[in-house]
Amino acid sequence: MYFSCRPDADANGQYVSYSAYVDLDRSDLFKVRAVADEPILPLGGTGTFDEFGVYPVSVIRAGDEVRAYYAGWTRCVSVPFNTAIGCAVSRDGGRRFERLGQGPILPYTPDEPFVMSGPKVRRFGEMWYLFYIAGRVWKRVEGRAEPVYRIRMATSPDGLTWTKANRDLIPPRIEADEAQASPDVFEAGGRYHMHFCYRYSEGYRSHARGYRIGYAWSTDLRNWTRDDARCGIDVSEEGWDAQMISYPHVFAVDGRTYLAYLGNEVGRGGFGLAALDGGFD
Amino acid sequence: MRWTKLGLVFDLRAHPLAFGSGDFAQSPQALVLDDRVRIFFSTRSREPDGQYLSHVAFVDMRKDLGAVLGVAQRPVIAAGDLGTFDEHGIFPMNVLRHDDLVYGYTTGWSRRVSVPVETGIGLAVSRDDGLTFERFGSGPVLSATLNEPFLVADGFVRTIDGLFHMWYIFGTAWSAAGAGTAPERVYKIGHATSADGIHWNKEEGRRIVADRLGPEEAQALPCVFDRGARRHMVFCYREQIGFRTDPGRGYRIGHAWSDDLVDWTRDDAMLSIAGTPGEWDAEMQCYPHVFTCEGATYLLYNGNAFGRFGFGAARLEP
Repeated sequence: MYFSCRPDADANGQYVSYSAYVDLDRSDLFKVRAVADEPILPLGGTGTFDEFGVYPVSVIRAGDEVRAYYAGWTRCVSVPFNTAIGCAVSRDGGRRFERLGQGPILPYTPDEPFVMSGPKVRRFGEMWYLFYIAGRVWKRVEGRAEPVYRIRMATSPDGLTWTKANRDLIPPRIEADEAQASPDVFEAGGRYHMHFCYRYSEGYRSHARGYRIGYAWSTDLRNWTRDDARCGIDVSEEGWDAQMISYPHVFAVDGRTYLAYLGNEVGRGGFGLAALDGGFD
Repeated sequence: MRWTKLGLVFDLRAHPLAFGSGDFAQSPQALVLDDRVRIFFSTRSREPDGQYLSHVAFVDMRKDLGAVLGVAQRPVIAAGDLGTFDEHGIFPMNVLRHDDLVYGYTTGWSRRVSVPVETGIGLAVSRDDGLTFERFGSGPVLSATLNEPFLVADGFVRTIDGLFHMWYIFGTAWSAAGAGTAPERVYKIGHATSADGIHWNKEEGRRIVADRLGPEEAQALPCVFDRGARRHMVFCYREQIGFRTDPGRGYRIGHAWSDDLVDWTRDDAMLSIAGTPGEWDAEMQCYPHVFTCEGATYLLYNGNAFGRFGFGAARLEP
């Protein structure tokens, strides 16, 4: 299980992010077998898009290799950061990765101007799919700049050369400036199921306006029907995931389907799991 | 080629703008109109914290560049929104007439923390011969990719046989001369093509013009013009370090030629433009732009101090 983590903040209170992994026992996912002893990828060089963070990361097997698609973070002056999506490859089963190049694999374009992040890479049939988010506006909220972003996708024959769909996949539900993240697509029962998270653009560090998990389904991977009532999970009454739930990832192991997700404070203490009861319908 | 220097044809001090700090008319680029030549350039305003911000303006000149007819009353394109690639200025802008429109290929600047800036190339469109431009989207049409990791800038666009060609620069290094000194950039000239001027296919990291000064040579502002069947490219180049203060390391105008738009042969001597001792272009020559008007071919360029006082011109002798 890959995840992202942070050393202590620097003297200015700023964090960098790294990605790492934990090996879980296949027969008992609550039994930790090992954790990475170093980040899977160092930070980028001076002036590059991932100089200040590699977070989050999505991995996929490609022949003997494992490829990681990740968001790289840089620091800006008028807004706190910008992000773009990069790609790195591992030849040792996913322990250490090397960048394919110093720059991002998906460029900014006229209607995806900044904050491209949250990549989830998938292969269905012969086609590669990258689901991600792209910023549409930076809002000024109580003196802070806050990005509003939406779920997008691109397709590729090889995972390297991408064609953007250039449209929002999921309409906003709770407000016009709803922020959406972590578009995680899983195929089951002849349909594609997308879990993602969403929140209000302002005041989202509170329980009421913070991240919740949303859901949409599709038969063609391009046209999605949002139906959050069917996401199958909400915040708990109390405990580690009572304040917010976010960054969902659905996967299957040995016949069971799981949802990994973050809880309070966007994963400060770790991540949790839920198991699917029955099918997706 | 033999060029006759026409001198500092636009002196900003003699034709002050109604906006900006009164300094800089950088990277002149021409749009030939029926009765005049509209020459776009970037000028600068100064922000409360002392930092510069570039705006695109123009001067209308007589077609032989012998007289100034007027200057822009305001920037031709508004400032970019919060967090966008061109929020902190546009420098330069290349203009191209296309159908009834004028396409402006902008280089947008946004400020960074570990390095001073990042850039990208945007598209803005004018329906009034360049008096005003509107952005095509809030993001760039050409920006960083796998093998062109930062500082995509200085787009120059032409259509040839129905295909759009863009020559531009991309960054190859941000590196410091020593501990405690600021990182300085190195960039090289690249090439991309497009069917519509919006969606571009880069050659993705191919450096199309050979270095003269070595791997640290910074190449900027390519511009391609024709003489007969041969394509000629002018650009400027400098050392990575010390170029601001040491005239021996500052910008000079370079040249390359191609017969197939693929392979370029560098031959600076063929262009033969040099500074004139004691003149406005003695210490530096930069940001070249070549255009033709009524049968004559002109080279616009900036001189000392990166064009602080205006721009000059030279005319190609037949």
